[in-house]
Amino acid sequence: MRKPSLWTGVVCPRLALEAAGRMRAPDDAKRPRAAHDAIGGQLRLVAVDDAAARMGVRTGQALTDALAIAPTLDSQPRDRRAETAWLEDLALVAYGFSHQVALTGDGVVLEVGGSRRLHGPLDTLLASLDEALAPLGMTTRLGVAPVAAAAGLMARAGVRAESRDDLERTLADWPIERLELSPAERRKLAGLGLKRVRDLVRLPRFELDRRLGQGVGRYLDQLRGRLDTPLVYWQPPETFARLVELPVPVRRTEALVFALNRVLDGLEHWLRVRDERLTALHVTLYPEDQGPKIAFSAGLGQPGFQRDRLLEILRLKLEPIRITADIERLKVEADSVSGQRPPQADLWSGTNINDAWPALLDRLSARIGEDGLCGVAPKSDHRPEKAWTWSKPGTTAVAEDTPERPAWLLPEPRPCRVDALRLIDGPERIETGWWDGQDCRRDYWVAHDERGHRLWVFREYKPRDGWFVHGVFG
Amino acid sequence: MPSISTPTAYATSRPISLDRLLADRDDLWRGRRRRPAPARSTGHAALDAQLPTGGWPRGKLTELVPDRAGGGELDLLLPCLAECTREGRSVVFAAPPLVPCPQRLHRAGVDLARVLVVRAPDHALWAAEQCLKSGLCGAVVAWPARNQVNERAVRRLQLAAENGEAPLFVCYPPGCPAPPSLAALRLAVHAGGELEVLRSAQGPGAGPIRLAPDNVVPLAARRQALEARA
Repeated sequence: MRKPSLWTGVVCPRLALEAAGRMRAPDDAKRPRAAHDAIGGQLRLVAVDDAAARMGVRTGQALTDALAIAPTLDSQPRDRRAETAWLEDLALVAYGFSHQVALTGDGVVLEVGGSRRLHGPLDTLLASLDEALAPLGMTTRLGVAPVAAAAGLMARAGVRAESRDDLERTLADWPIERLELSPAERRKLAGLGLKRVRDLVRLPRFELDRRLGQGVGRYLDQLRGRLDTPLVYWQPPETFARLVELPVPVRRTEALVFALNRVLDGLEHWLRVRDERLTALHVTLYPEDQGPKIAFSAGLGQPGFQRDRLLEILRLKLEPIRITADIERLKVEADSVSGQRPPQADLWSGTNINDAWPALLDRLSARIGEDGLCGVAPKSDHRPEKAWTWSKPGTTAVAEDTPERPAWLLPEPRPCRVDALRLIDGPERIETGWWDGQDCRRDYWVAHDERGHRLWVFREYKPRDGWFVHGVFG
Repeated sequence: MPSISTPTAYATSRPISLDRLLADRDDLWRGRRRRPAPARSTGHAALDAQLPTGGWPRGKLTELVPDRAGGGELDLLLPCLAECTREGRSVVFAAPPLVPCPQRLHRAGVDLARVLVVRAPDHALWAAEQCLKSGLCGAVVAWPARNQVNERAVRRLQLAAENGEAPLFVCYPPGCPAPPSLAALRLAVHAGGELEVLRSAQGPGAGPIRLAPDNVVPLAARRQALEARA
């Protein structure tokens, strides 16, 4: 049997205020705050905080009036882009709890009835949801209702109505103003002398439709679960890209890493819900005043996501960059492959060498660079100076069996004088390369120099004539 | 007080020295001998016998002072490095002075997939330190440049080495005075593969140690063997 659905609403009651407040300097913590927007050609307040409300500042007031009442008011223009970004983050977190997530204007609703077997009883689920939302740094309020349309309302009031009866009872006592109705509908209802939802429900349906149009009746049916609510389900984006405006332009590495860490929160959720593994992170820093942007990438040797490892790599990448102007924005894009695999620890030692070794290589190459870190591999060539190459670390290679070789090779053979040497073993004739135009003929010898060190030297006949030292035994 | 009449052969009335009685008990520690520090065999029996730890001390610094760059330290270390890679652990060469020959490494039994070479001399000591701290490496060999050799740098490496079991080898540039350090072991590597213990837990060694060049088959000997077969 299908479980009855249960919806949780998450609303951000201070969304406009908090989104606009990101640009505020932190030392103004004591000042009353507000956010304003242009409404009908006039700047009006759209959100006020408690301190401002106590001083008599109200939502809808003109900004000039508000400043006359409260001269210390710190009002910022509404930032709709930040609000949208924040709601997207919120939806991403919610998507970790349910696959049915829909955006409402000031939050999200998500179906949790089907997730209860996974997440446990409702209390536990709400607690873990609350915990997951905390890092977003937004004020959120949760509510529960058996239908999607009511979940947002319940969240705004902070009510948990788990059954239809609970919902009916809760709604009945509510004043009509709490419903999501248009101002015109509200005026008409007030004209009818209706104050509470109870009165509205008691009205015969045809009366309601005749006086107010079908919209109110349909909304009421949706609220009470008699009609399905049409929802557009939110889907996580295909690729991860984030543009972050820094609250205060900075150039210190630590501050930038802090900002990047915030982005990693969202990335972590995105990777989890999309079932993806991170392979590379591309970061672009935008300085103030349209200065030249700074871009760098951090690749991971082994796809995955481990925050402290990633932060360290980013820090190592940032350190050598000379940042001459304060950074006001940063963009983070992620490359990923599908197939998330949670990190597994070794049963005995608690560390996983299979994961830890690539992590170590990532950290080293973040500072040294890819070229500075290598393995050494044999190549199939008879000319000893072409028989080795730097390779990627971890390349499996098997060397062909050769006569005795010295432990150290000179990167290039160097001419030497033979009169200081005592030849003790040899010669080993190498005559090769006629096929690629680098024809050579030489005799390799083991020789002692005057101080008793064993050297690997050769007498070349072709293409040049002379003695060369090529390696050192030891 | 434990009774002396243990079920061993003490029933005879033959007088037995107290020393022997005590020596028979393995639950008594008499503070005569130090517990041997954990070590990894050097792969050269003659050298193992001369070292107080019986091998390269694990998780400790061993200083090598060669006569010249590439003057024998790699051949000395190869058996130990090969053993590390056989155990599945990587060995790290931090800023080697020349190119380690892959054919020679392979011949000595080193798994080339587990060799990590750090070619950036500026970051070599930092990389060595990171590798040691991770506790993932089998052994770390560092060749610091002359201007990088100082007491603080060596001390940092030594502390990092204590995090794990990997032996750490620092090969000083030839002619560079080794800084004062608390290394467990310092060896001079002379031309021709001769070694000298400059410092160890038991003080300096008695004299030079010659390692038999057992892994060197001269070409002349090979040719003679071939001619004999023919």
